[in-house]
Amino acid sequence: MRLSAGKFGNALLAIASWCVIVYLMLPLIVIIGVSLTSANFMTFPPHGLSLKWYAKVINNPVYIDAFWLSVEISAVATAVALVLGVPAAMILVRKQFFGARAINALFLSPLILPTIVLGVAVLQFASAIGLGRSFATLLIGHSVLIIPYVIRSTLVSLAGFDLSTEEAAQDLGAGSTATMFLITLPLIKPGVIAGGLFAFIMSWINVEVSIFSSSSDLMTLPVRIFGEVQSSVDPSMAAVSALTIYLSVVVVLLLDLFIGLRRTGMT
Amino acid sequence: MSKQDNAAPVGGIAISDRQSFALLGGAVLFMLIFFIGPLLLVLWASFNPQSGGHLANYAAIASDDYYWGVLLSTLKLGFWVTLLSLILGYVIAYYMTFHVKSQFWSRILYVVIVLPLFTSSIVRSFGWIIMLGRNGLINESLLFLHLADKPQQLLYSNGGVIVSLTYVLVPFMILTLSSALQNISASLHEAAHDLGASNLVTFFKVTLPLSVPGVIAGSLIVFTLAISAYVTPSVMSGGRQMVMPSLIYDYYMVQFNFSMGAALSIVLLISTLGLISAYMLLFRHYAAGASQGRVT
Repeated sequence: MRLSAGKFGNALLAIASWCVIVYLMLPLIVIIGVSLTSANFMTFPPHGLSLKWYAKVINNPVYIDAFWLSVEISAVATAVALVLGVPAAMILVRKQFFGARAINALFLSPLILPTIVLGVAVLQFASAIGLGRSFATLLIGHSVLIIPYVIRSTLVSLAGFDLSTEEAAQDLGAGSTATMFLITLPLIKPGVIAGGLFAFIMSWINVEVSIFSSSSDLMTLPVRIFGEVQSSVDPSMAAVSALTIYLSVVVVLLLDLFIGLRRTGMT
Repeated sequence: MSKQDNAAPVGGIAISDRQSFALLGGAVLFMLIFFIGPLLLVLWASFNPQSGGHLANYAAIASDDYYWGVLLSTLKLGFWVTLLSLILGYVIAYYMTFHVKSQFWSRILYVVIVLPLFTSSIVRSFGWIIMLGRNGLINESLLFLHLADKPQQLLYSNGGVIVSLTYVLVPFMILTLSSALQNISASLHEAAHDLGASNLVTFFKVTLPLSVPGVIAGSLIVFTLAISAYVTPSVMSGGRQMVMPSLIYDYYMVQFNFSMGAALSIVLLISTLGLISAYMLLFRHYAAGASQGRVT
């Protein structure tokens, strides 16, 4: 009797879980579906299949400019975050000193700060020093936003790192620099790559920071979508959105294949 | 700082204090100039209103029912989104942790949960705009199932904002809960069963109490993200429902009253930090136990 009640419960749990999974996937599937329609309005399921809305997007300089701006901002911000974050995390793991906890908190605090407050802070800063809404302003905001992801991911991978491997390298005659580049960095590489990819994507999808540093000729792709989403009636909006979804699929699969999503230190 | 109190248990590269200073200093300086500096500027701006004394903005916020109304509707939104995320998140986290045995399916599920997190909230909200429209998937389904006799106004409704913001934030809840649940040893379940406890009893007496730290951490993350979300509430309500972040945006970008916007930002920031500190103080003993679960 108890067994069948248990089976019933398990079936109920499985059904409920799959409902949640459908809830998680449906909006993305609907966007992709709509983007493939051959009709001139947004419908799901699509009326006939066509790639014409993708063609329209690719031939629209507004989207292309926004796309490249987004790529540049995210790539440069990720580079800044890696260059600053990885060495900092290495020191934080190795050395204990007064204020280390405060510095750690400083690096991670953008994670708990409401993103919109970071956005206005950067705007306030940029107008105070005369930067205005510019590439540099966007870059500052995005770098601050994503440094925590690089630091956290590097810290996680260093936490499982055996420092005696460095000692072994040095016993065998390697110098500090050689050890760093030949032993340490290759061993923590998955964590650093995961942190970098994660940082890139967090910059790539951001609206709340970018929107305060954007102007009509300086708009990242998400800000552009945000501006047009409520007035748009034709499915090219769905095609742009779908393109960003494909990119996330690629990044998620890369992360999962090479590092394993569970080990990226995301939560 | 001396060599003796180096944290490294064994060996490691000898890094001099000067080198450490240089390697750490760049990042610290960057954060001080571009993160702490701007935040202090916001604080400073909030005390220098366009008219009136230094506290004029805060006095206006405290005395005007409009601001209290916006704050209240922001907190209400946060509450409903957190509650819904908790229910949905718990179901799927429990299922993933204890029922999905196959490595393959567990990976697929993980991809499905993480994928939305890697997609912009504006794109995900757009999905809901399409679905909730008059001829959208949801209305069509309601008509088809005879649950409604005419298309319902779902888009730009309160419910629409809650459902879509929950959708945007629920992955955070799932990830936090599943990492908490993974820390509960399967042998505890076996022990409970061996002692004759049913699944339901095991859940309420063993699993649920042990997952409380994850529940609290997940709720905290989702709540703070919900009250500071700008994109989804503004798009999904069609600008009809003001929440704190949309009010901040309005002051900065429409009215160009930076000072008032700054004061509202400080209010939002303090509400968030207050919640997080309350969490840390109240549940310190829980947090200590859950620290291996990477509670952020």
